[in-house]
Amino acid sequence: MDDLHIRRSILANPKARDEAMNEAIKNDPAKQKFVQDIDTLDEKIAQAMNIPVPDDLYNKLILRQTLASHQQQKSKTRVRLAMAASVAFVMGLTVNFMMFSSTYKNLGDYAIAHVDHEASHFSNTDQPNVTLASLNDKMASFKGSFDSTFGTLIFADYCRFDGSKSLHLVFQGESSPVNVFVLPNDEEIEFNAKFANDALEGRSLNFNHTNVIVVADKKEPLEQWQERIKNDIIWSI
Amino acid sequence: MVTKQVRYEALVKALHTDLYRYAYWLCHDKHVAEDLVQETFLRAWRALDSLKDEKAAKSWLITILRRENARRFERKRFDMSEYEEATIIDAKATSNEQEIENQWLRERIAQMPEEYREPLVLQIIGGFSGEEIAKMLSLNKNTVMTRLFRARNQLKEAVDGEPKLRGLHNG
Repeated sequence: MDDLHIRRSILANPKARDEAMNEAIKNDPAKQKFVQDIDTLDEKIAQAMNIPVPDDLYNKLILRQTLASHQQQKSKTRVRLAMAASVAFVMGLTVNFMMFSSTYKNLGDYAIAHVDHEASHFSNTDQPNVTLASLNDKMASFKGSFDSTFGTLIFADYCRFDGSKSLHLVFQGESSPVNVFVLPNDEEIEFNAKFANDALEGRSLNFNHTNVIVVADKKEPLEQWQERIKNDIIWSI
Repeated sequence: MVTKQVRYEALVKALHTDLYRYAYWLCHDKHVAEDLVQETFLRAWRALDSLKDEKAAKSWLITILRRENARRFERKRFDMSEYEEATIIDAKATSNEQEIENQWLRERIAQMPEEYREPLVLQIIGGFSGEEIAKMLSLNKNTVMTRLFRARNQLKEAVDGEPKLRGLHNG
């Protein structure tokens, strides 16, 4: 290892010495002197570089950070509040929408669901127990009346029909009860003239302000029922 | 939150001295150095979560500070003026012989070209190895070692060449 190389290496980094360098230094007093000189120089440089640090710098740094994080905290709180408000607002809208809007998109779906739901309450062999007068009493709120009872009426009462008041009539059919709904024309819910599922089918008739829906099993002659309804109901407007 | 605060305070306590000195040798101005350190620690606070390895904290902070210093030049071109003797810390008034010698050496260090001084400051104050300095300054290691050699060599020649003059000067 040549002298120049060792000097260069010591000047570049006095603390990093490998085996070969240590060996070379040990055997050469001139090099030992050089190493000592450089160590002394480094000490001096380090001392010179260690300029005094302002006493209060530490405190200033902590203070600055505390203020900054306080500021950040404040704006975070504001953002969080705004987010909470937005979420509450959207929840309100959603609840509103769910509570007051139609669950079913069209008359048919709802009518079938309603009939399915109440199917167990009616049997085709139930005795008729509704008079024409009481039926017409109920029909009055739909501004219509029957001029004679057609078929055998088992049941007649008001029902909630997807949020609107309706009259639910159950007639004896050929093999199972026939359901007739009289309900106000609701613009939010789609009108469909014919609908069906696996077991049931239905027809809707639209009069001026009222829809009349007939739902029965598939064996029932629905057209006949519709004809009878058309002929027997007299609308006052 | 509390742990972040504790971490930050520990970081400031351990490293603000080195960082201030490094900043000083970068800009030769006490006030600018202080501003740089403040700005650096503020950025460090905001990004503290990204500091995973505490051992890397010093080089991380120095990297932030160098970027901050570069930004200062972008903002104010006229700050890039030559080093002025007047801005070098003057300890003459209240000092003993040791301080006088320090002061003399400080001036020599300040007069050194930036490219030699910076690696030397990082090596002596920061205690970084050649590889670490190379990484921080985006240079290759041989370049860094050459600059370190030249920096020390310049100072050695200065010290060797001027002891008598210094004696007279301050005598």
